[in-house]
Amino acid sequence: MAAAAQLSLSSVKSGYGRVKVIDDVSLTVATGEIVAVIGRNGVGKTTLMKTVIGAVPALSGAITFRGVDVTRLDATRRARLGVGYVPQGREVFARMTVAENLALGMRVGDAGRTNLDRVFGFFPILAKRLSQQAGSMSGGEQQQLAIGRILAGRPDVILLDEPSEGVQPNIVQEIGRIIRRLQAEEKLTVLIVEQNLALIRAVADRCLIMDKGRVVAEIAPQELDDPETAARHLSI
Amino acid sequence: MELSGQIFSWVYQYFDNMAFLLLAASGLILIYGMMGVINMAHGEIMMIGAYIAASAFHAGAPAPVAIVAAGVGAGLAGVVLERLVIRHFYNQLLSSLVVTWGLSLIISQAALLILGPSIMNMPTPFGSFSVGGFSFGVYRMVLFAVAVALIVAVWALFRFTAFGIAARAAMENPRMAAALGVDTKRIYTLTFAIGCALGGIAGGMFAQTATISPFFGQNYTPMAFITVVMGGSANAILGLIYAALYLAGVQTVASNVFNPYVGYVSIMASALIALLVMPAGISDFIQRRRARAMER
Ligand SMILES: Nc1ncnc2c1ncn2[C@@H]1O[C@H](COP(=O)(O)OP(=O)(O)OP(=O)(O)O)[C@@H](O)[C@H]1O
Ligand SMILES: [Mg+2]
Repeated sequence: MAAAAQLSLSSVKSGYGRVKVIDDVSLTVATGEIVAVIGRNGVGKTTLMKTVIGAVPALSGAITFRGVDVTRLDATRRARLGVGYVPQGREVFARMTVAENLALGMRVGDAGRTNLDRVFGFFPILAKRLSQQAGSMSGGEQQQLAIGRILAGRPDVILLDEPSEGVQPNIVQEIGRIIRRLQAEEKLTVLIVEQNLALIRAVADRCLIMDKGRVVAEIAPQELDDPETAARHLSI
Repeated sequence: MELSGQIFSWVYQYFDNMAFLLLAASGLILIYGMMGVINMAHGEIMMIGAYIAASAFHAGAPAPVAIVAAGVGAGLAGVVLERLVIRHFYNQLLSSLVVTWGLSLIISQAALLILGPSIMNMPTPFGSFSVGGFSFGVYRMVLFAVAVALIVAVWALFRFTAFGIAARAAMENPRMAAALGVDTKRIYTLTFAIGCALGGIAGGMFAQTATISPFFGQNYTPMAFITVVMGGSANAILGLIYAALYLAGVQTVASNVFNPYVGYVSIMASALIALLVMPAGISDFIQRRRARAMER
């Protein structure tokens, strides 16, 4: 792995109040690499993502993004440095329109209109629903909006938290293809939390296995083809 | 005294009463709707605006300029208040009530210390006209027009501009907005300042109808408070309009059938009754009904 580290965590601990959830996580994601984080429910995958974007403060350790230490920066500053986040449960702004949601995503970018055309190329449905209230879209449509919103800002790194949740298989496949394409064309760096075996196999270069707030092992995605290994690490 | 004059007088009073509520409450309801804080010092912000407008006017500025200055000055006061105090009480309705009530006492007492109990005045412009033997001040209708213009401007600001979209996002889901690069703290400061600027402009407008003293704000805070609580926070602007339409109607009828004092008291009584039916305010009530109608 000669490429420079795009994102790295060293001995990061975090949690909520006195409850420590992330217990000493170190990991590195190289530029243009797609790393999957897998693990059973409640092991802290979402908390890890929130710690990386700054929604949950790190109690100790360091988080660097392209060599810049962002550990003490708030979520707003980190987003402006090019870290995009698609949360579990999508969190589109339900009372706002599709167009407004996309406009929010574009704030951090500077490429303007062409960006949006590109997003519509990936998710044609968004172009047709611009004036619809995001909250009235189906779950799968909202997921496409949540991903499109992030891509509109042209981030360098994206964090995807279970993008396949509640999304029909052909759209999941489409999401996989888009991630691969962005990796190939733009060297997009991705940290993805997933339970969906097919999606992990389609996109991941490496898999980190989490348990009780720690990264306990790393495996190659192909190893998940063994049903026993898959059953051990995924909550399905 | 003709019937046409009598009828016009009621209509005129209705619009006058509405203008009062809309102007006094617009900044307050904006802050409540966006940030879940009711600023009991809003009247004192209006008082600051009134003093600024009157001082600028007596220093030779034309009245419209004086009123804009009042808005800017009150907005700046809002920035200071937000940074020092309000910021710590977002979405804590009760604490914010107590704290801002304390602020209102501090600000009015400070004004009393600095400016003394002396009062200031501004002339009421535009003269009057008569209908059916009754005489009516033109300025009251200007108040109404300004109130409508301000509300439309605020609506457009939050509906169409990049700032407005970011502000609504920050209100709906602050963490996600921050994750998209929205500086939520700055948005809150600006929104609070805009609410105070509206109060300052209202103060400058009312400075031309009322005498200005350190306790000027007390004339407005109770009515504004009732209008805001009745309007609710579900949709601040619609809530404000509905509440003003309703309360001004009750007040107009009650003060004509009985007397102005009964009219004033009837606002409190009718708000109380309305809140029993619609505990979270009119805008919440209407949104729920619409949602239910859509499900059918
Ligand atoms: N806001 C919070 N306050 C307190 N505890 C929390 C909070 N959010 C999560 N937790 C706790 O932190 C632990 C890890 O939760 P997290 O959501 O990170 O797990 P996860 O691995 O993403 O699970 P899942 O696979 O179900 O999405 C859980 O025990 C959870 O109860
Ligand atoms: Mg999770």
